[in-house]
Amino acid sequence: MSTIVGQQLTQRFGSDLALDSVDLVLDAGEHLAVLGENGAGKTTLLRILATAARPTAGRLEIFGLDALRERNRLRARIGFVAHAPGLYPALSAIENLEFFCSLHGVDRGRVSGTLDLVGLTDVARRPAGRLSRGEQQRLAIGRAVLHDPRLLILDEPDASLDSGGADLLARVMQGRSAVLATHDHALANRLCCRTLVLRSGRSLGAGTRLRVVR
Amino acid sequence: MNRSVAVALAVARKDLTSEWRTRELLPALGQFVVLALVIANFGFQIDSQNAATIAPGVLWLTLVFAGLVAFGRAFAAEREQASLEAVLLTPASPAAIFAGKAIAAGLLLVACELVLLPVLTLFFGTPLNLRLVVAVLVATVGMAALGCLFAAMVARVRAREVLLPLLTLPLWIPFVVAGGQAVQVAMGANGSYDQALGLLVDFDILFVVLTSLAARFVLDE
Repeated sequence: MSTIVGQQLTQRFGSDLALDSVDLVLDAGEHLAVLGENGAGKTTLLRILATAARPTAGRLEIFGLDALRERNRLRARIGFVAHAPGLYPALSAIENLEFFCSLHGVDRGRVSGTLDLVGLTDVARRPAGRLSRGEQQRLAIGRAVLHDPRLLILDEPDASLDSGGADLLARVMQGRSAVLATHDHALANRLCCRTLVLRSGRSLGAGTRLRVVR
Repeated sequence: MNRSVAVALAVARKDLTSEWRTRELLPALGQFVVLALVIANFGFQIDSQNAATIAPGVLWLTLVFAGLVAFGRAFAAEREQASLEAVLLTPASPAAIFAGKAIAAGLLLVACELVLLPVLTLFFGTPLNLRLVVAVLVATVGMAALGCLFAAMVARVRAREVLLPLLTLPLWIPFVVAGGQAVQVAMGANGSYDQALGLLVDFDILFVVLTSLAARFVLDE
């Protein structure tokens, strides 16, 4: 069964067409890179896939469920890393993750393993506002996998990450379906088996990583 | 524990912990309350005859404007930190998230009232008794529910500082009317305290139920 089936996904903001009839299929365990320049519609598409936004038109099924009607059920199975880390600066890294454990209804015992996964064990008790931008991004990635989602939606997660960032992303994407928006073609080539290229909200087609790199 | 209750408590605890550590709002609210009472004290010719008549009005005016500040920050801070989306993308019920925010903002207003009521007594010489405290606390529940709902609605709007009072104040009028009557009676005026308090409880139930139902639509996208 496909993890994502999107048909004619369209998003308008007033008179602006941010996404124009994009079709998308993602198979279970597959990693798809979404490429495109600024304003191409990558974030809009990813927000729709993460159920953070409703498309103006089109159909979207995730795990066989209608993503527009079953948003709450799907949210337990999707992890989303947005553009901004969206952390609570006064709370420590541990407290940020514990808070999201409560919202997801999962055991707080997962926090230490998650901090270890994203390499933040040493700064676990530091307020999120005093973490570096890269550490905040790592914490946001940790938050996205805290509830062990089967689908990861990553919107330019490599921004602000250091040289170990690609390895971290490879670790968190392993065993999950994932959609990754990035400007870094080398990263897309390393982590994803397929690509979708967007320009001005339109899909220029999906292909294998080799075709895009060429 | 019921999952929605657990979520609401987690959200409230998170907000109160953040406020305790940053002290962004509470000191400013406390200062506002004291300053408002100082101005009222000098602005009115207060004597033992008119204090009990003027004090309830001053109390509710101060409380209403302190509430606007407290509830306005409840969602504005989340929007500024871009953290609300992460919260809403969990399977937690929007009503529970909303309840948590309202509980935290309501408790901040209660903390404000802990300053307001003794200072009011000090400046106006009005009695500070259990009936007065109960009336104010009961009104705070419904005011918090309504205030937080409108704060959530306007949080993504640029002119939120203007819109929040315009939307909230008209619907707070029932609390000011019934609460005003209860406080007047608690301060020694003639009238039925129980009737006014009963009305406040009715308003609380009505608005808590309505805002819980509306929270889903307001918070979702």
